[in-house]
Amino acid sequence: MDRDGTPTPGAVRGSRTGLIALVGNPNSGKTTLFNALTGLRQRVGNYPGVTVERKEGRMRLGDTEAVILDLPGTYSLTPGSPDERIATEILLGKAPHTPLPDAVICVVDANHLERNLYLVSQVIEQNIPTVVALNMIDIARRHGMRIDIRALERELGVRVIPTVARKSEGVGELARAVLGGGSGRRASGVRLPEPVERETEELTTLLVRAHQFSLPRARSEAISLLSADGARLEETDHYAPGVLAHVRRDHEKLDFLGFDRRAVFVESRYAWVREVCAHAVTRPATEGMTRSDRLDAILTHRIWGVVIFIALMAIVFQAMFSWAQLPMNLIRSGFDELGTLVSSSMPAGDLRDLIVHGGIAGVAAVVAFLPQILFLFLFLGFLEDTGYMARAAFIMGKVMSRVGLHGKSFIPLLSSFACAIPGIMATRTIDNGRDRLATMLVAPLVSCSARLPVYALMIAAVIPPLSVMGIVSLPALTMLSMYLLGMVMALVMAWVFKKTLLKGGPPSFIIELPPYTIPSLRSTLMLMWERAWLFLKRAGTIILGASILLWFLASYPKLDGGTPAERLNHSFVGMAGRLVEPVIRPLGFDWKIGIGLLTSLIQREVFVSTMATIYDVGSDGTSGGLPEKLRAAHNPVTGAPEFTALTGICIMVYYVLAMQCFSTVAVMRRETNGWKWPLFQVAYMTALAYSVTFIVYRAGLAMGLGG
Amino acid sequence: MATNMHMTLIDAPVGSRVRIRHLTSRPEISTRLRELGFCENAIVRCVMKGYGNIICEVHNTRVGLDSVLARGIHVSVSD
Repeated sequence: MDRDGTPTPGAVRGSRTGLIALVGNPNSGKTTLFNALTGLRQRVGNYPGVTVERKEGRMRLGDTEAVILDLPGTYSLTPGSPDERIATEILLGKAPHTPLPDAVICVVDANHLERNLYLVSQVIEQNIPTVVALNMIDIARRHGMRIDIRALERELGVRVIPTVARKSEGVGELARAVLGGGSGRRASGVRLPEPVERETEELTTLLVRAHQFSLPRARSEAISLLSADGARLEETDHYAPGVLAHVRRDHEKLDFLGFDRRAVFVESRYAWVREVCAHAVTRPATEGMTRSDRLDAILTHRIWGVVIFIALMAIVFQAMFSWAQLPMNLIRSGFDELGTLVSSSMPAGDLRDLIVHGGIAGVAAVVAFLPQILFLFLFLGFLEDTGYMARAAFIMGKVMSRVGLHGKSFIPLLSSFACAIPGIMATRTIDNGRDRLATMLVAPLVSCSARLPVYALMIAAVIPPLSVMGIVSLPALTMLSMYLLGMVMALVMAWVFKKTLLKGGPPSFIIELPPYTIPSLRSTLMLMWERAWLFLKRAGTIILGASILLWFLASYPKLDGGTPAERLNHSFVGMAGRLVEPVIRPLGFDWKIGIGLLTSLIQREVFVSTMATIYDVGSDGTSGGLPEKLRAAHNPVTGAPEFTALTGICIMVYYVLAMQCFSTVAVMRRETNGWKWPLFQVAYMTALAYSVTFIVYRAGLAMGLGG
Repeated sequence: MATNMHMTLIDAPVGSRVRIRHLTSRPEISTRLRELGFCENAIVRCVMKGYGNIICEVHNTRVGLDSVLARGIHVSVSD
């Protein structure tokens, strides 16, 4: 029995493994709570749209176990984006692959209670046992907000558990409430004006009769039909003709009575929310500027905002290139030691060559870039956690709209600096299909972390460590240029697509700006650990495998005698390289680079291990790391250096623009539900990479940079 | 203070509090705005303007809007 005497059996207790849906507004701390409840690790972000995947975890309490489904963040059960549609369909029992949940945990940000209670009112009406997790209660209290939990429970008719998900506070009580039978259910107290309520009830009854919908689903669909405009109604074809005729009559009636049908339902809900808050919430009076006001006045200032944004990005790249050097050198020398140790403790032969030159050299070349990747994620995590990322999206909103992109496109594009895959998935928060597709098509042009090892290798090999104006080092500036090239080309191509294939009006821009917070070191470290582990796993599996395979292909068929270069030329790799050489020769690439381009289709960073394998196998006793080996490599016939500054720049430009990633193609296929767009993307990016690299090479030669 | 001074949200002075009178954007956009709290009678505080956008606070939540959307929100100076 719940507190009102309504029978409320434990949602999950004693039954089969129950399903509990976790629902809430974006930025309500839902994902953090999910981690705290299930112990699973997941990325915790601070901008709308971080939860774009289906996330499940198991929660135990004594003998009871339940599956928790972390639904995408949503502001309401009237879906706008594909993300919100998933959440809505599951809660309305319309999702084909997910049963109706046995219980719902509705996560509410205590600081934004009014806005969050809007969703709560809709969730409660679904008649699924619900518990409200009043999250971030510590911050609300610190801001002087007083929330009377008992009064709130009384008003909502469901259990309310204060939680601080970041510190796992209140999580045990929440688990007991939802698993132990404490979850209540009651219709919300939202009161519609009498004529509107009457028509809603009639239509609900009709929908139950005509379509056998459950009562909550029928009411929810009745409200959406009554608030729909006429044109949209004409496009609806999944209701019985009698239902649609009834809806048209209702529209006429309510319009005649002077109700704004689109506004009345939302307004009534907010009226209820205000009433609930009047009973349960006391806020301190705020006078003058708040801390957030003062920060926003600087960080989103029309001049200072841009200056700070560019300065922050410059710091990120400078850090990745300068601060990461020491740990990178340590890793390199560690692997060198290992190689020497193995060489000295094993008899000479194919097996030793395989381990030292195939395995260790290939993996070492890639793992050495781990510190740079960690720095990138440290900064991305920090910017997200402080709340700055949403401000950056706000600043970039104008630029985005100039090229026809949505302001929200900035977040997927920024995520693509880490990897295009989460970037493409983050586009699900964009409501408009054309804007979403345009963003997905250009996201892989943004330089991901897998390109970083390629840039870093090329820069270390061919760009001298000079300083520009005594402030920024030339290598760091080159790196920044490559990142800028990717971003600029992404914007240019988005503009082209929005003017041609995906024509449409300028998109509208709404973005929630979360409060500024001190970043959580724990969540940033967790993110860095996850990324590092993922990277090392890839280095240990795919890259190790590719390195060994490459070593084999670069060593066989064996040529007795001859120089290392001649032996390489005689191998399978040599043959394949010569096959592609005529195609890439106009870009200034030789057959060895051709091998790298082919093997890095698996993953871009494989280019580095390929070079390591080829040049280690083909080396003639040159000591030092891979960059030194590349610098020292000369064409055995002409005697010209194989890697000039121009070659290095051309390789980087090619990697900025080319779609060298099978995983991204697979994700595009999944997200666009077909092969058309992924194949188009591969074609346009390859053509773009080839033509721009060709122009850069020719221009470089003309300027005398080829020597 | 007078309540009959009508304007759109983009015209609201920085720091001022205004009351929403009605929305004139496309229906689906208006619905989204209402659900985010920009519904009729809600009080909005204009925090700052820049980049053709506006930052405002509604129901204690800070939201960034572009100028086209802000022009579709008709407001009057709050009491």
